[in-house]
Amino acid sequence: MAKLRIIFENGGPERVIEFNPADAPFHHDGRPGSILDIMLGHKIHLEHACGGNCACTTCHVVVKEGYGRLSPPEEQEEDMLDKAPGLTPTSRLGCQAVVEDPNAEITIVVPKYTINLASESADE
Amino acid sequence: MSDAPEKPARNLRSARVERIFDHAPGIRSLFLRLAEGRALRFVPGQFISISIPLEDETRTRAYSIASGSEDAHVIEICFNRVPGGRGAAWLFERGVGDTLDFIGPFGTFTMERAPEVETVLIAEGTAIAPIRPMMHLAARAKEHAPTLLLYGAQSPEQLLYRAELERLAANDRDLRIESMVVPDADCAALYERLAEETQKRWVNGDNVRVRQFYICGVGKGVLRLRDLLRAAGYERRSVHYEQW
Ligand SMILES: Cc1cc2nc3c(=O)[nH]c(=O)nc-3n(C[C@H](O)[C@H](O)[C@H](O)COP(=O)(O)OP(=O)(O)OC[C@H]3O[C@@H](n4cnc5c(N)ncnc54)[C@H](O)[C@@H]3O)c2cc1C
Ligand code: FES
Repeated sequence: MAKLRIIFENGGPERVIEFNPADAPFHHDGRPGSILDIMLGHKIHLEHACGGNCACTTCHVVVKEGYGRLSPPEEQEEDMLDKAPGLTPTSRLGCQAVVEDPNAEITIVVPKYTINLASESADE
Repeated sequence: MSDAPEKPARNLRSARVERIFDHAPGIRSLFLRLAEGRALRFVPGQFISISIPLEDETRTRAYSIASGSEDAHVIEICFNRVPGGRGAAWLFERGVGDTLDFIGPFGTFTMERAPEVETVLIAEGTAIAPIRPMMHLAARAKEHAPTLLLYGAQSPEQLLYRAELERLAANDRDLRIESMVVPDADCAALYERLAEETQKRWVNGDNVRVRQFYICGVGKGVLRLRDLLRAAGYERRSVHYEQW
């Protein structure tokens, strides 16, 4: 079984999901087997304003452990990440980073600004 | 489905369907008036993220802000039916007076100011939605760099806002529109034609590489156009694209 540990920078309780990557898709948004797909399929919310289509950065996560166990980012993800606030060398888009390895142990942080992005926007 | 306790407080907005306009069979615009007299500031190219409550799930789907007017109290979205698409089907069921919830605006496929370098906009069918406010932004400016819209569709009736866009172009010597209809074709044939045009004009046509591009459409054809232009020497950041 693979393991995904999720730390919420806003202080929400840590979650751990054990899953078999071969069972993907778990939901229907984002790439099958992506961090977004795994989280939504296990009823853990991750913002995904564009529906998991690599067209926003609201699913931005920082990978703390297991970066090399994820599918490598494609050009479209790199283009989007360039525009993500708070970019780090191990940033990924949750809707694009797929866990393929059945023994992968991945730890991610959902940054505060990722969470805030959906709650602060421009109206008058 | 109950959401986990860590779900953040989202700044959900509410809007009421004020008007419905059918462009053609299966292609519709909804005009949404924001609740409580609110207004929405957006940058041309951005989208809103609509919560779609289905019986078994709440779906999140993006719809570009297609507004042509500057009235920030009412936003227009424009969409088409999608085979098996439950989100789009739900939108088609909305009637005047119904409310819907959304968050946003979001998105970085944006034109912040009227073009300062030669600009090419490429869209197909409903994907004119984010491009339309860009055309208005250019048209409103006193001066802007030459801007061309290459607009493709599978039938003439799928060329949306055509009269309006042609009017904008007629009044602005630096704004041009060229439309292309590839009849009875699937999207692949349309993108084939768009790619041929792109190759002919902006890859083989000259050595100028300071243009910027905005490309929007459905499926991998968008990425093909992106790759064509970047491989030809255009700066990565000059080739903006949004794939639905
Ligand atoms: C940033 C962004 C902006 C968008 N803006 C618009 C918009 O202004 N108008 C609009 O109609 N759609 C828009 N879309 C697409 C929209 O979010 C939904 O994907 C679409 O309505 C289908 O959702 P669904 O739940 O009905 O179908 P799903 O079951 O989720 O179907 C998804 C499939 O439909 C394809 N698809 C997506 N959009 C279309 C389309 N318009 N025509 C044909 N196939 C499509 C996708 O490539 C995918 O294969 C946008 C998508 C993104 C990422
Ligand atoms: S959900 Fe929009 S980029 Fe991942």
